[in-house]
Amino acid sequence: MKHIVSPYEGSNGSARNRSDCPPVDLPGEVFFAISVAGVLENLLVLLAVLKNRNLQAPMFCFICSLAVSDMLGSLYKILEGVFILFRNMGYVKPRGRFETTVDDVFDSMFVLSLLGSIFSLSAIAVDRYITIFHALQYHRIVTVRRAVATLAVVWSFCAASGVAMVLFSHRVPTVLTFTLLFPLMLAFVLCLYTHMFLLARSHARKIATLPRANLKGAITLTILLGVFICCWAPFVLHVLLMTFCPNNPYCVCYMSLFQINGMLIMCNAVIDPFIYAFRSPELRDAFKRMVFLSRGQ
Amino acid sequence: MSAQRLISNRTSQPSAANSDYTWEYEYYEIGPVSFEGLKAHKYSIVIGFWVGLAVFVIFMFFVLTLLTKTGAPHQDNAESSEKRFRMNSFVSDFGKPLEPDKVFCRQINEESRSLFHCYISEVEHLDRAKACHQTTAVDSDVQLQEAIRSSGQPEEELNRLMKFDIPNFVNTDQSSSFGEDDLLISEPPILLENKPVSQSSRKDLG
Repeated sequence: MKHIVSPYEGSNGSARNRSDCPPVDLPGEVFFAISVAGVLENLLVLLAVLKNRNLQAPMFCFICSLAVSDMLGSLYKILEGVFILFRNMGYVKPRGRFETTVDDVFDSMFVLSLLGSIFSLSAIAVDRYITIFHALQYHRIVTVRRAVATLAVVWSFCAASGVAMVLFSHRVPTVLTFTLLFPLMLAFVLCLYTHMFLLARSHARKIATLPRANLKGAITLTILLGVFICCWAPFVLHVLLMTFCPNNPYCVCYMSLFQINGMLIMCNAVIDPFIYAFRSPELRDAFKRMVFLSRGQ
Repeated sequence: MSAQRLISNRTSQPSAANSDYTWEYEYYEIGPVSFEGLKAHKYSIVIGFWVGLAVFVIFMFFVLTLLTKTGAPHQDNAESSEKRFRMNSFVSDFGKPLEPDKVFCRQINEESRSLFHCYISEVEHLDRAKACHQTTAVDSDVQLQEAIRSSGQPEEELNRLMKFDIPNFVNTDQSSSFGEDDLLISEPPILLENKPVSQSSRKDLG
């Protein structure tokens, strides 16, 4: 993705001297550590769900989908780092056709991961919404088969969009589509969760529970949405500025922080299991059982 | 890729001398950017963006907490009638989905304290637990009797019914030692009540 979005990392460093906002470089070890942590965590989530029969429910299908997309994003970073290493060591030609193709494949993997994340989070919100507001028909509306079919359609769409976006990456409509998906999905998820929250609040008022429960609900919602916004919005803004004002000094200074924005996306892959998957007590117990079983053997 | 890419006319040798991890590409070299005569601070977009983001998140949090204190009164009337209807229809469905697999439900409840999830799991295991149907009937009878016994004012009945296996409204145990079960975190327990239903139903049975 770098060759699309970071125009200022010249190979001989003179681009750095040219601007007063030198690109901020993070050490490769940091990226590597965060990516490996992301891959391992999400792999654990997948294993815990796949190995337990009582976790074969639609809601866990969507959590698995989120884990897969996070894993793809972290894998992308690892593979990219390895590839850059090969190139710096001279094993790969700098601008060969093979290298360009591999770069394109990596980029489409990244876009696939991003779109997969967005759609998985929306699917989780929709599933929770149906659970709350159509609870009596939930088991008829949302079955495992329908969940898997939905995920298949969504991921095919994401794969096609990923390839298309990478092929047409420099056209303005592509960038606009890419950057519009993010706030649209955010608004959608915000509406769903706010409606659910309002219901919880109204029932809490009827039963006169402690206001503390509602405060916890507000904190939870804020964490869910806040983490998503803070991890993805910097990168989305980067893509926007890259397309529309690459020569503006203010935009240049923002874009010099590209690696930090990229790291935030990796952090999102690391944080997501904690705020989605491991919040479920069943999955926590399945995970503990897995760990103790492996220790016992 | 696209022909719009501006290829550098500088040397394209990857500089391995810089560091072992040179995250550098050589595709782009856009023309020199002048930093003369900037009116604002050069990182103003960065600062403005992050401050705006923080303000937005805090604003969202305060809106949510304010919603817990105030609220739309008209919404309550519509919702309560809707929920009453739902609860009545649920009560009529008592025999079928209540607890086909009582043992499983108990396990789930002890683990999760999320009655809602228990309900959904029960429904999903309906086919497997035909043998438990008798206990199911006993449970539902007991709960129904208790509901009828306690029926006084509609509001009380509402509350009493809500203590049972109402799928929409999940119970929390605020006096529990686990304490801090979360709203809207697990799938999707909105925790409202004081006692989990199956505990009260177990008390009824035993």
